[in-house]
Amino acid sequence: MDADVTIVTFRDIFQDEAGKKGRYTDEYRDLSARIILDRQEMARLGVKDGQRLKVQNDVGSVVVAAKASEDEPHPALAFMISSPWSNQLVGDEVCNASNPGPKRITARVSPTDDGITQISELLQRMRA
Amino acid sequence: MAVCTGCSLLCEDIELVGGTSHAKNLCRKGWAHFQSLYTERTKPTIEDQDATLDGAIAKASEILANAKKPLLYGWSNSTLEAQAAGIELAKKIGAALEGTTSLGQCTLMEQVLTGKIPSCTLDDVRNYADTSVFWGADPSNSHPRHLSRFSYYPRGEKHQKSYEEERSCVAIDVRKSSTATLCSNYFYRLPPGTDDQFIESIMAALDGKIPKFGDKKRMIELGTLLRKTEYGALFPGRGLVYSLQEKMDLLQKLIAKLSEITAFKVVPMVEHYNTRGFNQLLLDETGFINSVSFHDGAAVHGPMQSMIEAARSCDAALVIGSDPLSSLPFGIARALAKKPLIAIDPRRSLTTDAAKVVIPSAMCGFEAGGTALRMDGVKIAFDSVIKGDMQSDEQILARIKEAI
Repeated sequence: MDADVTIVTFRDIFQDEAGKKGRYTDEYRDLSARIILDRQEMARLGVKDGQRLKVQNDVGSVVVAAKASEDEPHPALAFMISSPWSNQLVGDEVCNASNPGPKRITARVSPTDDGITQISELLQRMRA
Repeated sequence: MAVCTGCSLLCEDIELVGGTSHAKNLCRKGWAHFQSLYTERTKPTIEDQDATLDGAIAKASEILANAKKPLLYGWSNSTLEAQAAGIELAKKIGAALEGTTSLGQCTLMEQVLTGKIPSCTLDDVRNYADTSVFWGADPSNSHPRHLSRFSYYPRGEKHQKSYEEERSCVAIDVRKSSTATLCSNYFYRLPPGTDDQFIESIMAALDGKIPKFGDKKRMIELGTLLRKTEYGALFPGRGLVYSLQEKMDLLQKLIAKLSEITAFKVVPMVEHYNTRGFNQLLLDETGFINSVSFHDGAAVHGPMQSMIEAARSCDAALVIGSDPLSSLPFGIARALAKKPLIAIDPRRSLTTDAAKVVIPSAMCGFEAGGTALRMDGVKIAFDSVIKGDMQSDEQILARIKEAI
């Protein structure tokens, strides 16, 4: 089971605070490596809070934790805090009409048993 | 009093009671910024090996001197003095200069700085504004004291009563953000990428026509609020800028229409403490706010000087006070990560971890003083508040320039 979603990134003060403690802290990873999904979407995917999802598109892929939205229903719309994890999914040409950048990422999410992508792995991918 | 350099509000009312660990008036973000003084500090390294500061500066100078197309990136967390030193260095070595707004607020900021869109100070907002509009922006998370110091809660010269009586706060967003929750009476939820249609609908409502997009009743209600506004302030965030992109002229038209009815000003919600300073300095110096190359001597700006082109084509990059490997899209970050990187930064980041040379610097606002432009363009001066032996960005750049 998988789902196509549009991901919108946003700022979060708690993640910002965790980032200031250190990019490599568990707290920063836990707040950054997660995707907020509509409750119905989560039920359809058969995942609960904290269970892992692979998020992938033409640009890249990351494994993050699922979190149920507390907002009103927003099917096919997901949210991620701006972070190195969300940036793995953002294309290069972010200033033209064909690519709206980190505010409208199209991706596919699917449940996985893989572990959460670690920040050290993200750095390795960039340096590879 | 100290100045918090945690965001572009540059709060000047920070009381230090027994040192930086017991500061008053800080928001959560500012508190974290102050505490970051004590964690994850960098040390001089060359190719992951410990080095002396002199050695790291010498190596950085050598890399830049030998580069044919160097890139100097960052600048939003540097003082105006360091930024000016950076522009001089770029001229000397024929480098490309990029700021952090290249992939965000660039178009909007240019329109504000060149006067195409009217702007005002945050003090004007506090004193006169009766309507604040947060569009694709969530200051409760990005600039936590924005509402309390300037845009919603404070009493001002013309607003002596409580905010419930005298101010309206509008949030336009794709999600019910923390700020949207605070101004829930005027929260307008948009599907992603429909901000242009929302603007058209507001303009229709202002003209007394039936809006074609959104809940007609609520759009007319918003039109009525804006018509009754005596002094309005619009705070656009990245959400609006990314959504409009090449249709930014629509925002210009909306502000022009609102300005026919009442005073309506725009203050872009830039993030880092001196983002606007770099854009203003570069504009004054070159006529462009970002993406300038001095490769052939004179300042050149165009598609070939875009951030992605600069990242791909440079053969060495100096990154100052910024973590592009965390904050930029993957492809651009990867292009940068493969170049010889020089990182001038007080704190560890993905970028310092990937850098060939790391030069530790003083943290501005704590260990180094200077001046910066607040998000509204007001110049704020600050002194160092603790004694330290770290060199400032400005001093390090001067040493690199001298060595080259």
